[in-house]
Amino acid sequence: MTRTYTPWILLTVALALAAVYLFPLYWMYVTSLKTGSEMFANPPTFWPNNANFGIYPEVWARRAMPTYLWNSVLIAGGVTAITVVLGTGCAYVLARYRNHWIDVGLFFVLMLQVLPASVMITPLFVGFNQVGLLNYPRTAVVLAAAAKAMPFFVVLVRATFMSVPRELEEAALVDGNSRVGAFFFIVLPLARNGILVCAILTFMSAFGEYIYSKSIIQSPSLQPASVGLSGFLGPNSTDWSSIMAYSAIYVTPILVAFVILQRRIVSGLTSGALK
Amino acid sequence: MQLSKRGLLASLAIGALVAATPAQAQVTLKVWSIDGVDRPGIADVYAKEFDDANEDVVIEYRAVPFDEIVNETLRAFATGNAPDIVSFDNPDFALFSSRGAMLDITDRVANSEIVSKAEYFEGPLNSVTWEGKLYGLPKYTDTIGIFYNKDLFAAAGLTEPPTTWEQVADYAEKLTDPANNVYGITFSARAGEEGTFQFLPIIQMSGGGADKVNTEGAAKVLDIWKGLIDNGYASRDVLSLGQWDSTGVFNSGNAAMAISGPWEIDRMVEDAQFDWGVALLPTIEEGDERSSALGGFNWGIMANTAHPDEAFRLLEYYVSQEDRIFTEFGNLPARGDIALPVTGIEKKDAALTVFQEQLQYAQPRGPHPEWQKISKAIYDAEQQALTGQMSSMDALNQAQTTIDGIFN
Amino acid sequence: MSRFFSGLRDGVGFDILLVGAALLFLLALAGAPLVYNVLMSFQQVDMFTLGALFRPFVGVDNYVAVVQQPEFWLVTRNTLVFVFGSMAGQFVLGFALALFFAQNFPGASTIRGLFLVSWVMPGLVVGGIWSFILAGDYGVLNVILKALGIIDANVFWKSDPNFSIWAVIIANIWLGLAFNMLLLSVGLAAISRDLYEAAELDGANAFQRFWTITMPMMRPTIGAVLSLGLIGTLQQFDLFPALTEGGPANTSNVAGYWSWQLSFQLYDFAKGATVSVMMFLLVLVASVVYVRSTRHEVRG
Repeated sequence: MTRTYTPWILLTVALALAAVYLFPLYWMYVTSLKTGSEMFANPPTFWPNNANFGIYPEVWARRAMPTYLWNSVLIAGGVTAITVVLGTGCAYVLARYRNHWIDVGLFFVLMLQVLPASVMITPLFVGFNQVGLLNYPRTAVVLAAAAKAMPFFVVLVRATFMSVPRELEEAALVDGNSRVGAFFFIVLPLARNGILVCAILTFMSAFGEYIYSKSIIQSPSLQPASVGLSGFLGPNSTDWSSIMAYSAIYVTPILVAFVILQRRIVSGLTSGALK
Repeated sequence: MQLSKRGLLASLAIGALVAATPAQAQVTLKVWSIDGVDRPGIADVYAKEFDDANEDVVIEYRAVPFDEIVNETLRAFATGNAPDIVSFDNPDFALFSSRGAMLDITDRVANSEIVSKAEYFEGPLNSVTWEGKLYGLPKYTDTIGIFYNKDLFAAAGLTEPPTTWEQVADYAEKLTDPANNVYGITFSARAGEEGTFQFLPIIQMSGGGADKVNTEGAAKVLDIWKGLIDNGYASRDVLSLGQWDSTGVFNSGNAAMAISGPWEIDRMVEDAQFDWGVALLPTIEEGDERSSALGGFNWGIMANTAHPDEAFRLLEYYVSQEDRIFTEFGNLPARGDIALPVTGIEKKDAALTVFQEQLQYAQPRGPHPEWQKISKAIYDAEQQALTGQMSSMDALNQAQTTIDGIFN
Repeated sequence: MSRFFSGLRDGVGFDILLVGAALLFLLALAGAPLVYNVLMSFQQVDMFTLGALFRPFVGVDNYVAVVQQPEFWLVTRNTLVFVFGSMAGQFVLGFALALFFAQNFPGASTIRGLFLVSWVMPGLVVGGIWSFILAGDYGVLNVILKALGIIDANVFWKSDPNFSIWAVIIANIWLGLAFNMLLLSVGLAAISRDLYEAAELDGANAFQRFWTITMPMMRPTIGAVLSLGLIGTLQQFDLFPALTEGGPANTSNVAGYWSWQLSFQLYDFAKGATVSVMMFLLVLVASVVYVRSTRHEVRG
């Protein structure tokens, strides 16, 4: 008897957990609709007294949102492309062997992550200036952010390659495939799901790239959406409703995409490569 | 990407052909400021006007977010990409002027027919001066006073705003009403420049300054503030509230007094559903020396500019338009000779009159090339005292040790 | 030449090319800035030499000066509390959620997808939202806790020196939960069902199954999650300016934020670089943990 009820109890618990977890998101939407003073009212209001939906068109008009969003897409796309092309091969090799060189390689990949982006920006700025990359600011940001995303990608994709049975690759080699052939035609297709999902995750975190963009990209027409946020912080004021509305505009499409795509994302990752 | 770049080049080329008709050589000036990121401001609007009116000068304007402008300029300066004209928050100015990064404009100002040094308030002028030389000009100014909720005052049987800090504590006790979530007062003692901004005037009132912070008077007021928090007359969250958020609490009717500045007036006119007024920042004892914080930005020409003459012309243009900055952007001119126009909003006009008077007492933070370190010592001490981790005097003494290390 | 190409196709050459390209890229764009910062921590730096690589050498003066700062030990303690508090919270909650969503019930994967929200939120916004939620007077967390009878009086999360670091930790746990849950879910899904069924037949209870099957099989995943989590937590920055700016009186200041503050708020670039190099030690630990954890991996 209990067996039939269990899934529904679990579902209820899951919904409750999700509601708790998503509460901050709700608070973002509610705060965006409150006036600059109501948001500081005690006790706080769970729904604004006079919801100001006009804030959304206003923020949209005040900022060149389409341009910003497009730049975010371009930058995130570039970061993902570089990370996937360079990171996949690296992860494959690091998963293929088991010796001290691999230990050293993994160690380096992680250690090169040691500095926060805020500390890396000055030397990168100086270097990009020297090689003239500052004239191609979006490219410069893509390169810098890809280096930041790479270790994460390598570690995750390496785990995916670990779950591809070695015997399959060896069988392909015995059949007369070259190493290159075996990699591209046997191993890669098997690890496709994992790589795809890691690429999506890389894309999403690169979509919010902020620290490099704000220093390297000077022209507003080339800046991504994340940079537009800091403009709401003035010397003496913080335009919270606009910040919240702006980020709602910017997060909601990704969220919707996420909910639509999540079956692929989550199941792609959790099903591993094969199982 | 490729296409749009080519298109851009093409339009640039066409633009160059059109613009090339006058035979004059063109000079390009790079101007950086925080205006225009969120909405139009002094720097971008007047730069455009100057650009339009002058065939021989092209202005390349860049809006930089407030929290980034110093770092951006430092980085650009170190790599030879610095702007010609830049606008900094006044306490940051000495970082550049003291190191020879700003152009000395003492003689240019003395010979100028447009700029009159004598008209500026003393505080803003001090913030652009280093070792007797003038390295910039004030762009606009700001200060703080004490806002009070007249309705809550009347309900508590009070008629006049407080004039000393002891009175503040006394009134705050009467005004506090936990049942209705009303605190007596709110202010900002946040771990950042805003905390120092509101506390430094107290040090200055007590005869101290950036170089001397451990005064009896400052310790006494800190003790009063600590009492406000411990007794529940002020929220413990003053330690993490910025000024904007703190005044938001006042606007929503949850605090009866607030230390804040004229930038709040417009939001208050719109949001506050009660009668309010502003008074001068209280003093330590009745009739004591006054002081107040000095906010606002400064203009400066960077020392490595290739076009100092054109840059100074632009600076003169900015100065010549200063009678417009209040009506168009709500910024207060840093000069005594520009009367603020009456807006017709009664509370706003009354508040502005008070702030105009308060500006005469406003003193700069520093100026000192390592102001930010001094500032951290000050707000750290303030927070140590207010959280009871140290006695007020001990905390100020510790800050003094750090500050002595900076000055010597 | 042809030997090189055949090596590329069939031997170690191909592997070296794949790893080499990625490592060269990383060395140029992450290694060079690292060297710059390490050098800077032994040098005297000012605004005129910010763009240079060779500056007056001052030995370990910067290190001595950093250790002598009155807040040094407080920041060290806070960093450890922040790192271990955040990681423990993220990991335990993330693992619990991953186990929960590994159960078979309708909507499991859809609802799990919703938990990835924090992955895409800009840090500044997350900081701003939590700044409102954690406020003492107008904060909604206190309202909820009071309604549930957990607290009597308002807790000033951001302003009470006893809680300020925990305010940032709470927000950071929320932020990092998605990452932990996702990676741990992946690890769980890779464990064969057969193992559990066999154990169940042998009469092992759920607890025993967890310790004898789940945990050993999860070791590599846990190693990756913890080491990436440690690095991510050390680099957490966005929450601090929005919540506390390290206050009150540095009680919520941690190495990462302090390093930024020294470099970009106090314009003391050498000391900022020094603190960031000191953080090296902790990442070293993370890297060793990770590399060791890979020893236990089983290739599929």
